[in-house]
Amino acid sequence: MNGWTGNLLRINLTTGSVKKESFTEEFARSWIGGRGFALKILWDELKPGIDALGPENKLVVALGPIAGIPAPNTGKTVVAAKSPLTGGYGDGNLGTRVTVELRKAGYDGLIIEGQALSPVYINIVNDRVEILPAGEIWGKGTYETMDWLYKKYGKAAGILTIGQGGENKVLFAVIRSMEGRAGGRPGIGAVMGSKNLKAIVVKGSNDIPMADPPGMKKLGAEDLRKVGEIDKKTGWSVQGTTGVLSWCNEVAALPVRNMRKTSHPDAWRIDGERLNNARVATYGCPNCTMRCGIAIHDHEGRESELDYENVGMLGSNLEIFDLPQLASLNYLCDDYGLDTISAGGVLGFYADAIDHGSIEGNFKFGDAERAKELLRMTAYREGVGNFLAEGSRRMAQKIGRDSMDYAIQVKGLECSAYNCKFIPGMALAFATSPIGAHHKESWVIMFEITQTSRESYGPEKAQKVVELQRIRGGIFEFIVACRFPWIELGWDLQHYVDYFNTITGMNWTLADLFKVGDRIYALMKFFWLREFPDWDRTRDYPPKVWFDPSNADKEGPIAGKVLEWDKYEKLLDSFYEIRGWDKRGIPTKKTAVALGLAKEAAEVEKRAKLE
Amino acid sequence: MIKIKIKIIGPFIYEAGFSEKELELEPPITAGQLLSLVNLQEGRPKIMTRNGKAISPKEELEDGDRIAICPIYSGG
Repeated sequence: MNGWTGNLLRINLTTGSVKKESFTEEFARSWIGGRGFALKILWDELKPGIDALGPENKLVVALGPIAGIPAPNTGKTVVAAKSPLTGGYGDGNLGTRVTVELRKAGYDGLIIEGQALSPVYINIVNDRVEILPAGEIWGKGTYETMDWLYKKYGKAAGILTIGQGGENKVLFAVIRSMEGRAGGRPGIGAVMGSKNLKAIVVKGSNDIPMADPPGMKKLGAEDLRKVGEIDKKTGWSVQGTTGVLSWCNEVAALPVRNMRKTSHPDAWRIDGERLNNARVATYGCPNCTMRCGIAIHDHEGRESELDYENVGMLGSNLEIFDLPQLASLNYLCDDYGLDTISAGGVLGFYADAIDHGSIEGNFKFGDAERAKELLRMTAYREGVGNFLAEGSRRMAQKIGRDSMDYAIQVKGLECSAYNCKFIPGMALAFATSPIGAHHKESWVIMFEITQTSRESYGPEKAQKVVELQRIRGGIFEFIVACRFPWIELGWDLQHYVDYFNTITGMNWTLADLFKVGDRIYALMKFFWLREFPDWDRTRDYPPKVWFDPSNADKEGPIAGKVLEWDKYEKLLDSFYEIRGWDKRGIPTKKTAVALGLAKEAAEVEKRAKLE
Repeated sequence: MIKIKIKIIGPFIYEAGFSEKELELEPPITAGQLLSLVNLQEGRPKIMTRNGKAISPKEELEDGDRIAICPIYSGG
């Protein structure tokens, strides 16, 4: 098989067994890699109802066939498990040298099972796999941990690690790599911590099997150069992702004050221009052509790598408009291994609940010093930190009253940095993201505001969400590459098809890849249904506060406007219709069979009805 | 004369040479005409908003308008 090593490495931390397993060409062609591989493995191997933080859960690290090959932005890896935060399918994607090294070591993925008796880390060097005691690094933050491992294994080693957040099973703990890369928003870091697994270190020295190595080498090198040139010409990476902050502020889409507000007069203090002015270093993933990791000195003088989501959720959402202080919060999240989006969402919800008088507590919007302390307490589950560590949905369940209305989350995962109180299509994107609210799958805000009409709930918006999900949550998550060259620099999608075909020797089209994406989306929904047989469409609803007229902006471009339920229901119906899903949001049998999921449909029918 | 505020967003500020400016202009003036006053490469995909809402180049501006010019972002 060209393009795939054909191997997965299965490591059981209870028994200590290590097995190299091969997968079939059929598996490769049906699921391709990354999210596809991870999902299918978790579907096949997990029983419904297991404890996501127990030994029966599995941590899957999955690469795609173009992963690690020198070509634009191929340095990304998918990490997945049953999510302890949402109870459903959970995954994430991060830039890491593990992408390159694991492929060179001869594997397309890892399956970590069981639970070690005491903290361990895994060291993989080609065929040699060791499970080693992690006593010296357990309890340390991700930066110190990586330093320790780099000293031991060299700076070229690929490392995935967790911080104290993962060790203490904070439900939104992530897996970390390199200077500021992180992934696995829905608590994939907590799953790693629950296995007493502190880190995975990888080095490989084999060639990656390809159909046309010289062809790919030439194509990849040329394209790396071309994309780099586009970035230089457009200047995108000068402000990186944070460039969009000023626009969100302009069009009333900025998360401010737990998404109560949509803009702020001080937003300029943390915008892309200010970030670039404060830049001290730039970081990126392996094979990156447009490095987005702008690092500045935080309030304590440490290097902190920022992008828009960090700035939006830990900054404007908490009304912290001091860039170095915001950078400190980001540093702490990275060091503790906490998802910055959920951390900002949780702290925002906490401040809001206190402000509303729903609970007593000590945290006000704008209080960066207190936010630092709360992050520390969360990472260690100390005092109120134990409450915050559960995520805003569980917090709202405990608080009661009407607090669930303003917990800005879907399916338990906090919304990323876009206030959608009057952006119907983006609200739909959050609501139908398959891991819980996340902008990664689909981002339609500019389309909505400039190419159709913001007021519209028309089927064109549902169509756009599905179109983007097929690419962002589909292709880029299973072929595995960073979508930025395509999405921000206009690098044609066909290039990725060409890389895929050159590496695998296949002759696929975009339509073939879209079908895989649709298959993956349908199976992700089956995964949720198998866990929650009473599934209904309300789980695909945006936060209630976005529909509350008393929460409308008092002035500005969307003054007096909020989402409307009956219109949203129609938009959601359009989405289900396009996907061939029923009114609950579940793939019909007909859709499942057409996507090659007849077996999976039969399996899920043991627990729930299919239309 | 009408007063118009222009806000330039993202890396466009390095081309335009400024990020925010107030101009006094002789009406009638359209959004497209305003754009031509700003030093931005033609052909670069861009969007314009007026007071936070989308505006087409043909539309006439009014006194007190705030016009933002932004590259096409796609949400990362």
